[in-house]
Amino acid sequence: MPESVAVNESAVLAGAPVTAAGARTRLVRRLLRNHSVVIGGSVFLVLVLVALFADALSPYSPTRLYPAQRLKPPSLSNLLGTDEFGRDIASLVLHGSRVSLLVGGVTMVLTSLGGVLIGLVAGYYRRLDLVIMRVMDGLMAFPAILLAIALMAVRGPGVWNVIFSLSIVYLPRTAMLIRSTALSVRELDYVLAAQALGRGGLAIAFRHILPNCVGPLLVQGTFIFAYAVLAEAILGFLGVGVPPYVPSWGNVIASGKNVIREAFWVSAFPGLALTLAGLSLNLLGDGLRDTLDPRLRRE
Amino acid sequence: MRQRKTTWAAIIVAVVALCLISVLDATAQKKGGVLKVGNLGEPPTLDAHWTTATITEVLTNHLYEGLYALDARSQPIPMLAEAMPAVSKDGLTYTFKLRQGIKFHNGKEMTSADVVASLNRWGAQSTYGKGLYARVAEVRAVDKYAVQMQLKEKTATVLISLAIPNNFAAIYPKEVIDKFKPAEKATEWIGTGPFKLVEWKPDRHIKMVRFDDYQPRKEAASGYGGRKVVHINELLWMPVPDAATRVAQIETGELDFADDLDLNAYDRLKKTAGVQPIVAKPYYWLVAVFNKKEGLMTNQKLRQAWQAALDMEPIMKNVAGGHAELYRLDSSLAFVENAPWHTKIKGLPWNEHNRDKAKRLLREAGYKGEPIRFMTTQEYKWMYDFALLTKQQLEDAGFTIDLQVVDWATLVKRRNNHKEYDAFTTGMGNFYDPTHHIYLGPNWPGWTDDEDLNRMLAELAGEGDYKKRFALWEQVTRAFYDKVPVARYGDLFGLRASRAHVKGFDTTLMRPRFHNVWLDK
Amino acid sequence: MLVVVTVVFLLIHLIPGDPVAVILGPEANAQQIEDARRELGLDRPLHEQLLRFYARLLRGDLGRSYFLDRPVTQALWERAEPTLVLMTAALFVAVLIGVPTGIVAGAYQGSWWDRGLMTLALLGVCVPGFWLSLNFIYLFSVRLGWLPVAGYASVLQDPVAAARYMLLPAVSLGFNQSALIARIARSCMIEVLRQDYIRTARAKGLAERSVIFLHAFRNALVPVVTVIGITMAILIGGAVVTEIVFNIPGLGRLIISAILRRDYPVVQGVVLLTAAAYMLINLMVDVVYAYIDPRIRYA
Repeated sequence: MPESVAVNESAVLAGAPVTAAGARTRLVRRLLRNHSVVIGGSVFLVLVLVALFADALSPYSPTRLYPAQRLKPPSLSNLLGTDEFGRDIASLVLHGSRVSLLVGGVTMVLTSLGGVLIGLVAGYYRRLDLVIMRVMDGLMAFPAILLAIALMAVRGPGVWNVIFSLSIVYLPRTAMLIRSTALSVRELDYVLAAQALGRGGLAIAFRHILPNCVGPLLVQGTFIFAYAVLAEAILGFLGVGVPPYVPSWGNVIASGKNVIREAFWVSAFPGLALTLAGLSLNLLGDGLRDTLDPRLRRE
Repeated sequence: MRQRKTTWAAIIVAVVALCLISVLDATAQKKGGVLKVGNLGEPPTLDAHWTTATITEVLTNHLYEGLYALDARSQPIPMLAEAMPAVSKDGLTYTFKLRQGIKFHNGKEMTSADVVASLNRWGAQSTYGKGLYARVAEVRAVDKYAVQMQLKEKTATVLISLAIPNNFAAIYPKEVIDKFKPAEKATEWIGTGPFKLVEWKPDRHIKMVRFDDYQPRKEAASGYGGRKVVHINELLWMPVPDAATRVAQIETGELDFADDLDLNAYDRLKKTAGVQPIVAKPYYWLVAVFNKKEGLMTNQKLRQAWQAALDMEPIMKNVAGGHAELYRLDSSLAFVENAPWHTKIKGLPWNEHNRDKAKRLLREAGYKGEPIRFMTTQEYKWMYDFALLTKQQLEDAGFTIDLQVVDWATLVKRRNNHKEYDAFTTGMGNFYDPTHHIYLGPNWPGWTDDEDLNRMLAELAGEGDYKKRFALWEQVTRAFYDKVPVARYGDLFGLRASRAHVKGFDTTLMRPRFHNVWLDK
Repeated sequence: MLVVVTVVFLLIHLIPGDPVAVILGPEANAQQIEDARRELGLDRPLHEQLLRFYARLLRGDLGRSYFLDRPVTQALWERAEPTLVLMTAALFVAVLIGVPTGIVAGAYQGSWWDRGLMTLALLGVCVPGFWLSLNFIYLFSVRLGWLPVAGYASVLQDPVAAARYMLLPAVSLGFNQSALIARIARSCMIEVLRQDYIRTARAKGLAERSVIFLHAFRNALVPVVTVIGITMAILIGGAVVTEIVFNIPGLGRLIISAILRRDYPVVQGVVLLTAAAYMLINLMVDVVYAYIDPRIRYA
């Protein structure tokens, strides 16, 4: 399920101070030595390229219906077969990557931005902390997918509504992570020193605390990307995600469910694509965590 | 002495014959067993007066009965009434004689008091009941077994309204009616039907058993009426919301009978040993209903353009899962199966697939590519399917369609608000009388408030002579294709299936009934 | 909790759509709908409905289902058994596969065992559960005919049938989580094996086997228990999708159909119940934690 790792990940993660430029190049070198990062990253890169050039790569339009060609098995003209409306599965899967990456990417960015803002404010202004954390706790009290479904029912189908819903669902995790990092850093000497120098609260938060959050944030963001891709597919599968005529992996799997006996290829290939995307992101996330989290770094 | 001998001989012959018959009967129709039926979910209620939902119709018709029922030709025949009513010369007073000794499931005998109370509640709550009660002055008990209906004005629709199975005039015991106001769902489900309810566990099952005190009529079974005998011990309705799952469960034998199956599965079911696919005719004709109160589709030319652009064959074939046996191209507003009202008018502007004509009409309408909001839902897969194909055909002709896929609850709410849509999808079932075609009148979403149609429908309601009524009905049909209040597509059939050991099921029925069915295991 | 309650109420009433129109059926007219709305109290202003909701809630009354025509508490009670059985079974599957896998992989870190198992676990995390269940149904039920396609039998009435019905749902729901547990168990094991007291044990000349199973195992279990708790919480969300796919009459299916029918009191009821369950599970995790980990003792 989409929230799989997030909760415990944040417990494991601690701040990784990364400041100097020299450290940066060392870090890049370390990242490139990590197999998970390299493999996950390259598969992910391929996915991004596929999404960007989906039009050029697709043999057919993913939305044009060819009723006469319905449910054709994989062949030379339709490499992965066709669906109930004669649409080419290969073209659908290629275009489906767009929705997945868009939802995953934007959700990651939104939760990171929102999470940083809320987390820093909560971590720094102790009075606001109580209120904010109550609300976050409230949101976290629901299973993620249930909350997403309820939000989608309110907002109606659509890509941006999916992004909005998933961002709300995953925001508290990032906020909590940033908050705990901020809390652990704010008592450190150099922050106290900055305070003594009379720097304003927000300035301290952004100048001194934020840099320490970058590592954990990146790791968390990668996983949120993965959950969002999966959650989007689940919402599509349940019929409450992006509109069904928009090519997305979840939608194609859902339509393949009805004809799995007649045409296994309809649900099989988008399912594989979804697994592949999840795999690349999880590998990337694992690798990033191993590299960025000093506690787990191997000597 | 001799006389006595012949009498004895006659008696012996008669007894032997009777024994033989009953033995034959026993071998032919086995008693006992549990029949598991997979249907598409939970009914909103088992109060037949309360909703037009099909699932409630199917379930409640096993529990309750009305005064009349429809036979195989969709004509009213007596059910709880003893015979056809006596109608006064002026056509304003109907007297119904009730059958005697009919028991409710609670053991009480049915009398005129129950019937009067039930009809009045139905008249206050049911869609069809309200339609009839607009013309009813009073319903009263004459004696213990006779009821009289007094009309304000003459109408040809009394019997048909009492006989239709949807949102129907089910007879409840008076005590139940006293307990539940018409606007309140009854939660005691007691009728006179051949099955009696024992348990309703939402999302698990609805369990019905044979009602042992049921008194079948003597006439042979026909359509929804006639002789009903229950052979099975228990009828178990299993809610299985997913059509593909229902198919799989009938294949594996987890269900004995399954309704509303995924149409793609037809070929496979035919080949599956031990499974008997049944094509349910009629089912629905598919329809796009236009908003004629506000917005783009108030323009008749635009509606005509929509109608002209449609190419039914590929749409219907795709919706029917590619199976020619599961759809039919027909332009009559009443189904072929509804013989008395089926029209055979040639040359109507239906299924023209004339893109040029559509383009011309669009020009004449002054259409500039404004998006047309077309609502549909995936909860009924066929609605989404034909909406999607429609969108492509219309856009090829120059329309811009904004397809809005929402859930059924949202669709049903929005379609009542004239500001929120231009067209929506639904299906039209079997309307047994011309005056029941809801989409022709002003009180149903889409609001067909057309002077000519209103006049013709009023005439149809008042007219008693079948020939004149039919001529009027043909006129209505022609007007329909000119005014295009809704776009009629083709007829889609339903797919159901039974395991081979389920015998005696009447495959000609539009909605399933499980009396007279037995299990041969 | 009050925040949760209010959020839920408002969220649900923001969903467009009319419960009454669904109940009355497609051919009902405006007047009938108006009458029925009044009957259900839906014509009142929202704040008044909210106040009534609070008042009822204080009495432990969750209201009455519009659609099912019974008290919500009764509806919840009727669906609780299947969901509990499903979750228990899935948890069982997850722990049974996850813990041994993780311990073995962690104990022999870097070996082929480790790599093979962890690749499998990574795949396990990434395969979308709902897609996996589709394939399971296709393979084991439809193709091979070994297990029923979908449905439910009560454990109390017919344990054999219940087990047959529950096997596929439990495996497809538990599989993702088992992979997760395996990964956590592995890293905990690695962590523990680095500790001084393990070195001491080894230095004492204890056999590797007893080092692992006597010393490391128990200590590695501590975080694993936390993860199992989190897993249970995640399973609540996952059960929704599984119940839909396998047509199990539990709380997940109840809430989805309640959302579709706009049966507000039922949606509220299920959401409140899951939120309460969530909190309860977290509490239990804390208690178990204290019991297992000798370092933590609550006064």
